[in-house]
Amino acid sequence: MEVKRVLIIDDEESIQTVVRFGISMAAGWDVLTASSGPQGIDTAQSELIDVILLDVMMPEMDGIATFHALKTYPKTEEIPVIFLTAKAQTSEKNHFNDLGVSGVITKPFNSLDLPSQISKILHWELQS
Amino acid sequence: MTLAQLPYPSLQIQKNSSTPSRQQSTKKQLLQPMLEKAGDAIAVLDPSGNLLEVNAAACHLFGRSRRTLVNKSLSTFIKPALDITFDVNQASLNGQLTVVCPKGIERHVEYTLTHNVYPQVHLVIFRDLTQRQAQAEEALRWQRQRVELFSEVTLKIRQSLQLKEILRATVTEVQRILRTDRVLIYQVLADGTGKPISESVLPAYPAILGMEFPEEVFPKDYQTLYAQGRVRAIADVHSPNAGLADCLVEFVKQFDIQSKLIVPILQNLNPPQPLSQDSPQNQLWGLLIAHQCSGPRTWADFELELMQQLADQISIAIAQAQLLETLEERVAARTAQLQQMNDSLQQEINDRMQAEAALRQSEEQLRLITNALPVLIAYVDHQQKYRFNNKAYEDWLNQRPTDIQGSHIQQVWGEACYLRMQPSVEAALNGAVVTYENEVMVHDGSTRSVNVTYIPHLDEQQTVQGFFALTSDISDRKAIERMKDEFIAVVSHELRTPLTSMHSALKILATGRLGTLSVDGQQMLEIADDNTERLVRLVNNVLDLQRIESGEVTMDKQAHNAADLMIQAMEAMQPMAGQQGVTISAYPKDILIWADADYIVQTLTNLLSNAIKFSLTDGVVTLTIEVRPTPEDKTKEEVLFQVCDQGQGIPADRLENIFQRFYQVDSSDSRKKGGTGLGLAICRKIIEQHEGTIWAQSTLGAGSIFSFTLPTLKR
Repeated sequence: MEVKRVLIIDDEESIQTVVRFGISMAAGWDVLTASSGPQGIDTAQSELIDVILLDVMMPEMDGIATFHALKTYPKTEEIPVIFLTAKAQTSEKNHFNDLGVSGVITKPFNSLDLPSQISKILHWELQS
Repeated sequence: MTLAQLPYPSLQIQKNSSTPSRQQSTKKQLLQPMLEKAGDAIAVLDPSGNLLEVNAAACHLFGRSRRTLVNKSLSTFIKPALDITFDVNQASLNGQLTVVCPKGIERHVEYTLTHNVYPQVHLVIFRDLTQRQAQAEEALRWQRQRVELFSEVTLKIRQSLQLKEILRATVTEVQRILRTDRVLIYQVLADGTGKPISESVLPAYPAILGMEFPEEVFPKDYQTLYAQGRVRAIADVHSPNAGLADCLVEFVKQFDIQSKLIVPILQNLNPPQPLSQDSPQNQLWGLLIAHQCSGPRTWADFELELMQQLADQISIAIAQAQLLETLEERVAARTAQLQQMNDSLQQEINDRMQAEAALRQSEEQLRLITNALPVLIAYVDHQQKYRFNNKAYEDWLNQRPTDIQGSHIQQVWGEACYLRMQPSVEAALNGAVVTYENEVMVHDGSTRSVNVTYIPHLDEQQTVQGFFALTSDISDRKAIERMKDEFIAVVSHELRTPLTSMHSALKILATGRLGTLSVDGQQMLEIADDNTERLVRLVNNVLDLQRIESGEVTMDKQAHNAADLMIQAMEAMQPMAGQQGVTISAYPKDILIWADADYIVQTLTNLLSNAIKFSLTDGVVTLTIEVRPTPEDKTKEEVLFQVCDQGQGIPADRLENIFQRFYQVDSSDSRKKGGTGLGLAICRKIIEQHEGTIWAQSTLGAGSIFSFTLPTLKR
């Protein structure tokens, strides 16, 4: 399985760090980071990205607004988006699904488990 | 025998007979006293009209002595002169003339002249008409007086309604008019005895008024006779003709009764009724009795008639008096009845006034209480108009209750607010008790959260007349709830994000790929890692419980196959069971349930997790499912899930408490097992939201069974 390129958009720097460490250690994938929605959109447009992990709760431009923005650009509209959320409600999950997101991963999570969770959501063949 | 046929005894001159016979002399002796004692005045005339002889009555009539009269011409004493010329065709001559007495007294007389009673002797008989006229006048006067009396008594009877007065007047007047010694009214009583109830008696004779007479005096058969109208007039009680028994004669003697007149006073028992076929039946009421005490008396017919007529009038008076008495009795009874009605009416009025006063007082108290309450209290009629409002309305809306009363709800609260109220208002007017929450705007423009309860008011026919509305301000509570929700939401996000970092960082460290830790360092890292995981569970559980309790979470119920959920839960717990060396034996069945799959799986994993935690190594945890009749109603069914372990068991007195939050059977145990103390509380909330029940059974040292039910899905 080729090396995936993951973009994590989260205003929390420690989250960016543990996600980058966990994913690269567990699966050896490349992890790009962004601290805000606009920054993430820029990165997504300039880089080749396989999946975006998007934090829902962010100041100024939140995850839902960022998701809608990403869908407006031809370069980013096809990139699968997985929400990272502290809200674990079934109804909320359904709501996110209705928006067209690929999946939801609930905080707190173990970043070492992320490659397997992402692969399961996106139906990737994960090399063990 | 007439005088005209008799030879005149004292006649001295006999021209046609030379020798008076001895027989004639005897006749004269016989006739002389009779002539003298005759009531009529008799005179004998010679053909010249001189008086030859007069009797005593004639002397009395002429007011002169025999001597003065004899041998005088009759014409001297009479006017006009009497023509005594003999007429062959007439044996006797009748006429009237006036006798002139001394002192100018004149007497009008009727005469009869008979010629030649003896040859040359004429007989004149005089009858004093003056006396007879006086007698006739007296008789007339009497008669008139009687008529007057009768009409007077009748009038009194007719006019007076006082029977006693009538009876008294009757006896007095009868006694006066009959000039009798005693008149009384004797009343016959029902038992046959009787007594005089009214009497008028001369002072010389004993009064018998009020004396009671035994029945023997006036036996039944006599009563019957009188009732048939018998009248008794006894001229002389001592006379054998009277037919009175000796004892009775003796009896009446004590009252000096010599003669008596008795007429019945009858009473008609059956007053004439148009529809009645019965003939009137008379009953003897009493007797009207006149007594003569001075001596025997022959009662004249008119006296009898008078008595009878008066007795009839008395009968009428009695009937009238009885009618009056009946009327008076009726009036008295009716008066008493009216008085009683009046009294009860008065009592009713008093009661009502008291009740009204009590009602006013109670209303006043109610008003005081309702006005003192910070809650809005109102009564709304079936037209959705306010009929009562307490003072709180004034405080909230700045409108006086009197201004609000009669207004429609929409008018008071505005259209937008009314739209939120309308379904509940309509439900209340359909007879349902409704409780709901609403946001209302008060007079200063601020919004208040309110809890509203409508209680329908039903009349006796169970028709809804309106409803009582209780509205309490829950703004403070709502604010606190919001703060709590916000706090938990913040905690949710703000705790989870750093937890994610810590959790991931520790896991990464534990891989050893960033450098190898000493054994002690490794141990510290594990402690940090375990407790981070525990903190994550705690945060999740606190959030779950809060959301379910607040009602924020609604179960997303759909039809699911119970077997799928059981397998899902078992698979999730398999790793933990493996670590503990515990076997999970699940017996899934394809049963459709109506549930939120995630929450049922959460419940099952929770129960399995507990069972594994408290199982010994090599223990078996069993998960089963079955459909059974509900304990309350055997005709209905429910789905029963059971998780059994072979652990140490739970003391019976703690079986219910374990479902309370943060309750653990053994606190030292919980630390070892890494529980949060919220798992079973969450399970109970989830099952309650599914209208099921959850409970635990346990045998110490043998194990526990956790069971919950869900309603079956009706296919």
